[in-house]
Amino acid sequence: MEQVLTILIADDNPSDRILLKAILSQFGHNVISAVDGQDAIDKFDPHTIQLVCLDIKMPHKDGWEAALEIQRIAGDVFVPIIFLSGVTDPIALSNCLRIGGIDFISKPYSPALITAKLNAIVRLLVMQKTLEEQRDAMSLYNEQLLNEQEVAKVVYENITNSNCLKDPALSTIHYGTHVFNGDVILAAYKPNGGMHILLGDFTGHGLSAAIGALPLADIFFDWTRKGFLMRQIIPEINARLKGILPSNMFCSAAFIDIKVNNKSIEVWNGGLPDLLFLPQNANKPVKLTSKNLPLGVLSPDAFECQIDPMSFVPGDRLMAFSDGVYEALDLSGQMFCHSVLNPLYQGKIDADHSVDWLVQQLEREGVLENPHDDISCLSVRLDTNIGIDSAEHKVSIGHDEAPADFSFEYVLNADSLRNTDPLPYVLQILTTVPGLSSFSSQIFMILSELYSNALEHGVLKLSSDKKSSSEGFSLYYEERERNLANLQEGYVKISVKVTSDNNNRALILYVEDSGSGFDFQGVNYDISNTELLYNRGLALLDQLCSKLEFSKGGSAVTAHYHWKVGQDDRAT
Amino acid sequence: MVESFFDKKTECLTIHVKGRFDYSCHKAFKEAFTAVSKVKSYEVNLADVSYLDSSALGMLLLLRDHAGEEKAQIRLVHVNDAVIDILKIANFHRLFDITE
Repeated sequence: MEQVLTILIADDNPSDRILLKAILSQFGHNVISAVDGQDAIDKFDPHTIQLVCLDIKMPHKDGWEAALEIQRIAGDVFVPIIFLSGVTDPIALSNCLRIGGIDFISKPYSPALITAKLNAIVRLLVMQKTLEEQRDAMSLYNEQLLNEQEVAKVVYENITNSNCLKDPALSTIHYGTHVFNGDVILAAYKPNGGMHILLGDFTGHGLSAAIGALPLADIFFDWTRKGFLMRQIIPEINARLKGILPSNMFCSAAFIDIKVNNKSIEVWNGGLPDLLFLPQNANKPVKLTSKNLPLGVLSPDAFECQIDPMSFVPGDRLMAFSDGVYEALDLSGQMFCHSVLNPLYQGKIDADHSVDWLVQQLEREGVLENPHDDISCLSVRLDTNIGIDSAEHKVSIGHDEAPADFSFEYVLNADSLRNTDPLPYVLQILTTVPGLSSFSSQIFMILSELYSNALEHGVLKLSSDKKSSSEGFSLYYEERERNLANLQEGYVKISVKVTSDNNNRALILYVEDSGSGFDFQGVNYDISNTELLYNRGLALLDQLCSKLEFSKGGSAVTAHYHWKVGQDDRAT
Repeated sequence: MVESFFDKKTECLTIHVKGRFDYSCHKAFKEAFTAVSKVKSYEVNLADVSYLDSSALGMLLLLRDHAGEEKAQIRLVHVNDAVIDILKIANFHRLFDITE
């Protein structure tokens, strides 16, 4: 470990000074001489001098004073100081070390001792230099990393927050342990009213956990906007995450579909703690237990979708939280699920304030000060106006749109009825019509009502009577699944015609099914009549369309939808 | 802490995890199953696990991947109360043979 040092020596005794300079120069070091303490201070430059040797007793500031001043000038730069002394007084020598000297050399000088001490100092300097370089490299690296994280965070938040979390029906909390949060809460209005909500918790924390949220959010928002159903979106997310995440990473999640038309929710839970459905007329919450593996674990062919359907009354609530809440430790070291959350499970907490209550508990038990995991919770007040009056649907209407004139027919036979949902594709074609895209939510609602009526009541011959109670509701959906899976014959025909006449535009949707029709004369179109659950769909259609006509004994229906160009009124 | 034992006769690798089963075990757990070849079945003993988090679930998936996914023969044994809940929520009984 050989290194050439630049050494400043200060001694008022010329013979000692010259002797020391001679010894040090002999080893190849550069030596700068000073004649007293003040001269040493003047000649000291922390950037060129690596070692300072000071005689203790000197005129114009002694060695100790000079040492303090030199240390002040050196600041952050480490420059070792060695005292030179003829005295052997232990107190004087220990003073040298106390004020920051690293060693002393006694006079008369012994070249062997000086060599040994210099070697030790060179080792120290090399080590110090290495440490400083590493420290500087680390702090530069850390700065770059934080910079990059900030940029990534902006992108991440833009993607995961482009949603409707501010809807008054939702209350959420979201605390991360890192710059990036491995938990995501996504919410988006469906084109036919209602909302999709996803609460996800990726394995681990920080950036590595957050990165999976990007494709998740991308599919969630894009597919919801295009009108795909929950049971189509979930397998797609699973397949994408399985494809891109390493095998030890996955996303525990709950997907909630709020269907406003028939006042129901569907919940898919894969790996999250029980969701709580809090009906107003019951004194205990209904637990919606995880029945699925988390997203990104199973290959697409092994993936199944176990969904719980429930019907709701406006004002009922649904609550979901990540395991950061469930496994949080209270002050006595017990997990929340065994202690703090009990009153919630027992229905003793006012459902409307359950999120505020939870935040209070998390604060009181000291979890928020020192969270071990990302924490998120959401509660939604279920109602029939969710996603109906939202601002997102108030789009300005184009004043100059090119006329459109086309028609197409889409016939789905048994095999396709089982495996396809035609609506997003039909909607996609319709929204290419200039101007019509502004009404896509209404058109999607009409289309989905017509199609589900044709499929469920026409082809599958299900009776709506069943839907009147909440068990009946689940039964209805079980039967729907079963009948659909066993479907051997039947068809649904969708005909679409768009015409333009000056400024008047018309869309005619004709939907025919292979069923035996129904008594369409007796339909009650009074939308305020809430007792007739199964007529609500038709009443809604009647409101949205300018004309609704049944034919073929009720197995075919034609819906007329009109709009005008250059006018701000909605369809008349 | 992770300990492992390979029984050459039965070709069964036993991995014994003790204390907190979280990211701190990642390296040791991975080494435990990559160090031995020609393993027919795996047994993960969770009797002495006081806590298990989602990265531990991830490690179990890593083991399953290593052992051939659907063909993997992995038993999680002596699963205690602290752990069973978390495995249940994640529906891991569909991927692993779990015994208490």
